[in-house]
Amino acid sequence: MKARKIALVLLFGATLSVASQAQIQHVQMRVEGMT
Amino acid sequence: MKQHLGRQSGVQNVEVSLIDGKVEITPKEDGRIDPAQLIKATYDSGVSVAEMQITARGKIVKDDSGNLLLQVTPNQAFAIAPNDLSTTLNPSAGSPAVVTIRGQLYKKSGKKKPDPVAALKLLILEVQKKE
Repeated sequence: MKARKIALVLLFGATLSVASQAQIQHVQMRVEGMT
Repeated sequence: MKQHLGRQSGVQNVEVSLIDGKVEITPKEDGRIDPAQLIKATYDSGVSVAEMQITARGKIVKDDSGNLLLQVTPNQAFAIAPNDLSTTLNPSAGSPAVVTIRGQLYKKSGKKKPDPVAALKLLILEVQKKE
């Protein structure tokens, strides 16, 4: 029972960790009319 | 334009190449950056955006109509334009898997100024990683 709880906590933590890393990493634009 | 973009929320660094007209924007660590706001800020500084590409990590989800979205934060998601690469992401929809995608978020068409409020669609150019 205890092992199951620990496994669930670890699974939840891993999911949260992956989700928190989601983000925009880089933006590139090509522009016109720049002087 | 560099100063204008640098003041936008979530922007850490802006590099402008006058020779080839390229602007590289590095978001802050939290990645909370709004591409539509960047397009608007660029136009506000008197320069036209011909194209915008982003590299982003996120989860693939489906909206109520079954369209694929790349969810980068709980409050930010981009609709994915259908193409060959987007179909390969269909099995990942709704799973906790995180993908890294490089895609075109905006391309200028005609001479009309874009409506930055209009939803930007992500045309996937490359699926870099599935985790």
